[in-house]
Amino acid sequence: MHRNILWITVLFVLLTGFVKPRNFTVVTETKWLISESSSLSVNGTTNINKFACDIPAYDQTDTLTLSRGNKEIILSGDIRLKIQSFNCHNSIMTHDLRKTLKEKEFPHLRIRFLSLSEFPDLTAKPAMITGFVDIELAGATKRFQVKYLVSIDDQKNIHLLGSRDVNFSDFNLIPPRKLGGMIKTNDKLSVAFHLKMRDLN
Amino acid sequence: MKKIIVSGFITGCILFVFSYGGLYLAVKYFPSLFTEYFNPLFNSDGSRDVLFYMHAFIFSFALSWFWDRFKTLFKGMFILRGIEFGLVYSIIALVPVMWISFSALDITVAMVSSWFIYGLIQATVAGMVFAKLNP
Repeated sequence: MHRNILWITVLFVLLTGFVKPRNFTVVTETKWLISESSSLSVNGTTNINKFACDIPAYDQTDTLTLSRGNKEIILSGDIRLKIQSFNCHNSIMTHDLRKTLKEKEFPHLRIRFLSLSEFPDLTAKPAMITGFVDIELAGATKRFQVKYLVSIDDQKNIHLLGSRDVNFSDFNLIPPRKLGGMIKTNDKLSVAFHLKMRDLN
Repeated sequence: MKKIIVSGFITGCILFVFSYGGLYLAVKYFPSLFTEYFNPLFNSDGSRDVLFYMHAFIFSFALSWFWDRFKTLFKGMFILRGIEFGLVYSIIALVPVMWISFSALDITVAMVSSWFIYGLIQATVAGMVFAKLNP
């Protein structure tokens, strides 16, 4: 009996151990270079006002790789933004937002691109697609589905506009509240980013 | 001593409703006055909320002792005694505290002025209540 079990185990290992996993076969690959005029904005509300904070210019040169496989479309690459670059157009609110986002402990916000719902046809008319990203903020990472508008202009610049509502609580952050909670920031934030890119192919 | 504690507690309850009710209405109807509070100087994680809401009682017990000690100096009707008490408190306590706060912290004149007026009204109301409870 034990001998049969041993033989079955060996046979199973031999039959399955050398089977190649299903790989993602790249059919076409495109590289997009992110330009410095890319930006990110965050809009939120409190019980007394609204605020709009932005990072007006992306200060690094990174590439995104768009790979079309047999079935799926992978968008890989990431952008890393300095929390210090956030500007709420009011120095006091800017400081408060940076403190809320724990800038001293976690100085960067990272958006890691993962996939697209379809291969974008680059035309002047913005096409609506979706995709998944991982957003890393204040030491926590969360996956979101993002709505994109993709288009190309006359100068061959590719525009990728992404938008998504997130919550402070998604990243284990406490929305600022002052005076015993009499003044409080709502949990929801609307994040939008605009990547201006050039095709490197 | 009992009078100090009892009148301090009753005044604390009155000030609690009056102060936080007033603050709630002010935030609701004059929101633009409060935008400056989104400042890292002010606690924002809620960890000190209990201390914030205890302020009415800390204030009323301290003033209750002060009233008991110096009440003979405040003469006239209870309203007049309350106003005089509020002014005395404002001059000897609020003005120096607001002065040092404005000089040391990144806050505006409007914010400091609103704290001064808030404290003056609180002390005046407390003085009127003390004049009735512990004449």
